[in-house]
Amino acid sequence: MHQIEPWVVLSFCSIIFFIGFTGVLIRRNILVILMSIELMLNAVNLTFVTFSKQLNHLGGQMSVFFIITVAAAESAVGLGLVIAMFRTLRSVDTDEIQILRE
Amino acid sequence: MEPLKTIRPELLTMSEEQIRVLMPYFVVFGGAIVAMLGSVLKKLSPKWPVFIITLATLFAGVWVSIGLIPEGPVTLFNGMMAADSFSNFFNTVFLLAAALSVMVSFRYLDREGLQLPEYNVLILFSVLGMMLLASALDFIVLFIALELMSLAVYVLVGFRRADRRSNEAAMKYFILGSAASAVLLYGTALLYGCTGTTAIKGVVHLAQAEPAAVTPVFVLGVAMVVFGFLFKVAAAPFHMWMPDVYEGAPVPVTGFMTTGLKAAAFAAFFRVFINLGLAQGATEVVQRHFHDIFWVCAVLTMVIGNFVALTQTNLKRMLAYSSIAHTGYLLVGFVTGTRSELGFAAGTMYVVAYAIMNLGAFAVLTLLSGKDDSGLNLHDLSGLSRRHPILAFALSVFLLSMAGIPPTAGFAAKYLLFSSAVQAGEISLVVIAVLCSAVSVYYYLRVLVYMYMHEPIGSPQTLRVSIWAGVAVAAMVVLTLQVGLIPERMVNIAKKAVIGM
Repeated sequence: MHQIEPWVVLSFCSIIFFIGFTGVLIRRNILVILMSIELMLNAVNLTFVTFSKQLNHLGGQMSVFFIITVAAAESAVGLGLVIAMFRTLRSVDTDEIQILRE
Repeated sequence: MEPLKTIRPELLTMSEEQIRVLMPYFVVFGGAIVAMLGSVLKKLSPKWPVFIITLATLFAGVWVSIGLIPEGPVTLFNGMMAADSFSNFFNTVFLLAAALSVMVSFRYLDREGLQLPEYNVLILFSVLGMMLLASALDFIVLFIALELMSLAVYVLVGFRRADRRSNEAAMKYFILGSAASAVLLYGTALLYGCTGTTAIKGVVHLAQAEPAAVTPVFVLGVAMVVFGFLFKVAAAPFHMWMPDVYEGAPVPVTGFMTTGLKAAAFAAFFRVFINLGLAQGATEVVQRHFHDIFWVCAVLTMVIGNFVALTQTNLKRMLAYSSIAHTGYLLVGFVTGTRSELGFAAGTMYVVAYAIMNLGAFAVLTLLSGKDDSGLNLHDLSGLSRRHPILAFALSVFLLSMAGIPPTAGFAAKYLLFSSAVQAGEISLVVIAVLCSAVSVYYYLRVLVYMYMHEPIGSPQTLRVSIWAGVAVAAMVVLTLQVGLIPERMVNIAKKAVIGM
């Protein structure tokens, strides 16, 4: 069976990670920002799995379980904060939440 | 893929010694669970029981941790975690910070109509995260501890749910913090790829044994871990949103964040870099690279923090910038710490001194603040010395300590930090730090001028100081002066903590 080279997957992961990072920096909708954060974490997961396969070492795959759990908790808190914010601000746009002085 | 051959039985059992050194963690975890269960007793008005359970837990934790400080290092969970004098020293700091925050916020929560038991439970969980952060020996444990601490604090920042500023602050902090954690984690993944381990010591030793392992990817991994940490401690140029967060959060939470969180992030930072600093050979490459990064970060953080604080008229925002400035001084300890043992001891000492005076200042601010954290502008403090001389005196002690004026804790810590930096040959850095420190005296003393030399404005309102808050403020004043007058004891403990790692 044809096997994908690890470096292909790793470059793919780094591209996804930086798409996520750019998303956090430039997008204005908070829900999209939350998705971008998830994208970053999943790129990390994929990186761990690839390295785990490449190094023949199980540690990386174990790490992924922990990261998935933490990411789930993180999005739960994040969505909770979005709801709390929407109740008072009636918006999920970061341009409209600039009350605090810069 | 390597098969799971045998399960080593010694990993499944815990010796009595291991259970003993884990006691602080058990106490806090158990207390958090009990407090959480107590908070669902709606019929009984859970306000008092949860408050008492929280305080009892925190002080029990302090008592156990202090008792464990002289103990030698014990490695736990197959090298995932260490219980040593360093971690117990920092555990004491976190637990005391949390206990004081809880004591001060009791009346505050009543006044703001926020008397929800979740507040105390969240503080307990974030403290558990901090304690694990200070004792993590593995990047994955470090990440989980960081998230345990941060997730609880994100909610605490947004605790005034009906307030737009609090919501905004929580959201900003959440986005910033999660992005920083993801960057840190990606750095960990890259280090894992280069070295085949996520253990901090393993990564360092491999880089030391095989210089070939220090590839550009490895350096990128270390850089991303460092940047993730610099985000967490709010160092420039990653400080942009932090003043907003500190301003929007409830006052006692700001106090807790600027001390506990900062101390925890620095504790983990110290641990990683003491390990790096002790390794020779290949890591010299890393050290050379990162010396410059820390140098620039320290200077930027000190300059930006101090100069922007000059223009602030809101006390809470001013202390937020001053907190950034103090991060800069701590980073000075970092730059020098990689070359001398005393550097990290001085940094550790500074963390403690800063925690004491900053907690005290925020405790007084909590007592002075009006509804919705109003009444914290400079002119609101006019003539405070006549309205409430004791609080005015306490705030003066804390602010003078932050400015680094003897005989306070801030002076002793700053002196130690700067003199160890001079010993390490960082003259230019020390000159910049001292100049910045001189600038800071202006905005700290301005508050004193308002309190002591201006006439009171408006009708004097009565301040109600609860016993809890009074005890907390008094304890902080005593500690500030005690560490300032007799610093040797604290210095010796800090030295032992750093060496005993």
